[in-house]
Amino acid sequence: MSRDLKLFVVDTGPLITLAAARSLDYLLYISADLIIPDAVLHEATRDAARLGAEDIIDWVKAHREQIEIAATKAYERYDLARIAAPALRESDLGERAAVEVIEEPDRLRGAERGLLLCEETAVLRRVVVRDRERIVEISTLDFLRILEAEHRIQSAEQVFELAAEAGRSASRVEKLSANDHATRTAILDLVRQPQ
Amino acid sequence: MSETDRPALEAYSRGELTAIALRRRLGDASFGDVLMLLGEAGLPLPRAPVAGREAQIERARSWMFPRDVA
Repeated sequence: MSRDLKLFVVDTGPLITLAAARSLDYLLYISADLIIPDAVLHEATRDAARLGAEDIIDWVKAHREQIEIAATKAYERYDLARIAAPALRESDLGERAAVEVIEEPDRLRGAERGLLLCEETAVLRRVVVRDRERIVEISTLDFLRILEAEHRIQSAEQVFELAAEAGRSASRVEKLSANDHATRTAILDLVRQPQ
Repeated sequence: MSETDRPALEAYSRGELTAIALRRRLGDASFGDVLMLLGEAGLPLPRAPVAGREAQIERARSWMFPRDVA
């Protein structure tokens, strides 16, 4: 069921930070449709050895009914280009996809409103927000502080501390290179919308 | 982490450099790499300044948790 509030995760930061802190479920603590652009999900999970990647894949699979993976032309073109160049990397792919999703004319209808969630504001500088009355951008910390103020979580700061601890102690051994194909397949399953 | 990475990480931590710019400077590092390097360097994540954004955050809060109107 579509809800009046849409929560757009417009860069990888919130996903990785919350995954590292084992707190991805916090994104579901509000009554909103959760939308993640396909390329943002891809960037956060393309390498299973990266911090949080496996947790993000598992979490999206477990909550597939509650999360819209928004298909974008940016990711489609990138995916096609990878046929010829499998190692292709585009460092701003997620950003371009997010801009594309936010700027879709029919994204917000009627009384619907949008929250743009990102770790920092690079994405937002590229977006011409047509309706400032209906769209607000907030950082991961803003989001967590609101949950804390509403007594939905204990501590926003603790989430960031847990993320930092996970980053500090995370192994950088490329132990999952053997799983790379399986991971890519899993991501493709996630980002391809059922027809 | 090389000696040249640290000034970039410090600038990012102070909010003077975007994550995209930092990741490019670190050789297309992932955000996960950034988190780990910040941890190794003992630097905090950049925080979006709240001053001047109180109304925006309060509006987000009211949307996230609308109060019942009697």
